[in-house]
Amino acid sequence: MAANVKDYYEVLGVKRGASEDEIKKAYRKLARKFHPDLNPGDKTAEEQFKQVQQAYDVLSNPEDRKLYDQYGENWRAVKSGAGAPPPGWEQAQRSTRAGGSRPEGGFDFSDFDFGGFRSAGDEGFDIFEEIFSRAGRGRGARRGRGRDVEAELELSLEEAHRGGRRTLQMQATELCPECNGSGVKDGKTCDTCGGAGEVSRPKTIEVNIPAGVRDGSTIRLAGQGGIGSNGSEPGDLYLHIRLRPHPLFRVNGDDLEVELSIAPSEAVLGAKVEAPTIDGKVELTVPPGTNTGQRLRLRGQGLKKRKGGRGDEYVRMKIVVPKEVSAEERRLYEELQRISRFDPRRNA
Amino acid sequence: MWASDPDLDEPLTLDVVAETVGARRSLVMRLAERGLIETVNSETDGPRLPRRVVIQLRRMQRLRRDLGVNYAGAAVILDLVGRIEQLNRELAEMHRRLQ
Repeated sequence: MAANVKDYYEVLGVKRGASEDEIKKAYRKLARKFHPDLNPGDKTAEEQFKQVQQAYDVLSNPEDRKLYDQYGENWRAVKSGAGAPPPGWEQAQRSTRAGGSRPEGGFDFSDFDFGGFRSAGDEGFDIFEEIFSRAGRGRGARRGRGRDVEAELELSLEEAHRGGRRTLQMQATELCPECNGSGVKDGKTCDTCGGAGEVSRPKTIEVNIPAGVRDGSTIRLAGQGGIGSNGSEPGDLYLHIRLRPHPLFRVNGDDLEVELSIAPSEAVLGAKVEAPTIDGKVELTVPPGTNTGQRLRLRGQGLKKRKGGRGDEYVRMKIVVPKEVSAEERRLYEELQRISRFDPRRNA
Repeated sequence: MWASDPDLDEPLTLDVVAETVGARRSLVMRLAERGLIETVNSETDGPRLPRRVVIQLRRMQRLRRDLGVNYAGAAVILDLVGRIEQLNRELAEMHRRLQ
């Protein structure tokens, strides 16, 4: 679970002797760029933001910063009072100061809101302590109720229309089983959680997708969010639905639109043709004199609605002419041209 | 940004919303009065807020904490991000249709 991270100063792009104000400015600048709420669905930005926030959390706290400057990656173990830093910390610190990645260990980011997916919860509510009623808890302390978690779920149009069950593999945050959430074991930063006190574990959940969800819909799974502390209730999981583009259908609210090719003779004389719908093919009557662009409605063949009923399907006609014709067809087209009084440019 | 969605349409009391997001009731009330968060008509006493407000409030809190903007600014940012998302989806759909 532990991941190598860059030097915190390097992450924020500031010198080691940077003032608090410089650190804050650098953080805000990077936060504006990478904040997950400003870059929905962008995993790269999310990862960048985690690193930036991790760095800022440490460097913005004078006490933590001092320990970090002194002990490098083992500062957490020292802070927790677990004793002297583990052997080799000086070497690790020197390596860090030289600007390279940490040679070993590092931090797991599972204590972050956005770990694995977007989390609606806020573990680091510190800035709101003047405002929020839950103020007064320690920095980074776990709140009672578990965090709400947000994630995106991509569905095909068919899945959204029909609904059904879907098994999801997610990363869930749990208290670290090795250190029981303390972040420290045997006087050293816990190897399992990297000092975070939590670990990210794969979790399988069954999601009942209601028929009729749409792009941008949200499904709430009560109690499937972050774990609660001290036996309190877990948070909720909010799944934001994203629909994959469909090769045939275009979605317009509850309605579907599809393009259907017809032959010139079918357009002129009318015909019964097969038209695709989300549930399979149906017979469609093309009236005589149908033009390209004309839309025929298939009532009730659109998408299911969450509250019952269905939208319509609109079949847009497209007259397609053959690129090659047989001698007989050519003769008939020439005959038609000779006898026809139809002038498509009459009103031009 | 928010489509009508039964999962998030559920009306909650101010107290429940405040408790869920860890805010004071008075703050949630103030944000609702200023139109920064959505309220729904209720026949019972007291205003109600759709559950989607919980997500919105948490995003506002994060933006406030991480970017230093106030709640009004956070509400505008979220509105604009939602519009950009929608435009990006429409753009992607148009590109797809042109191919």
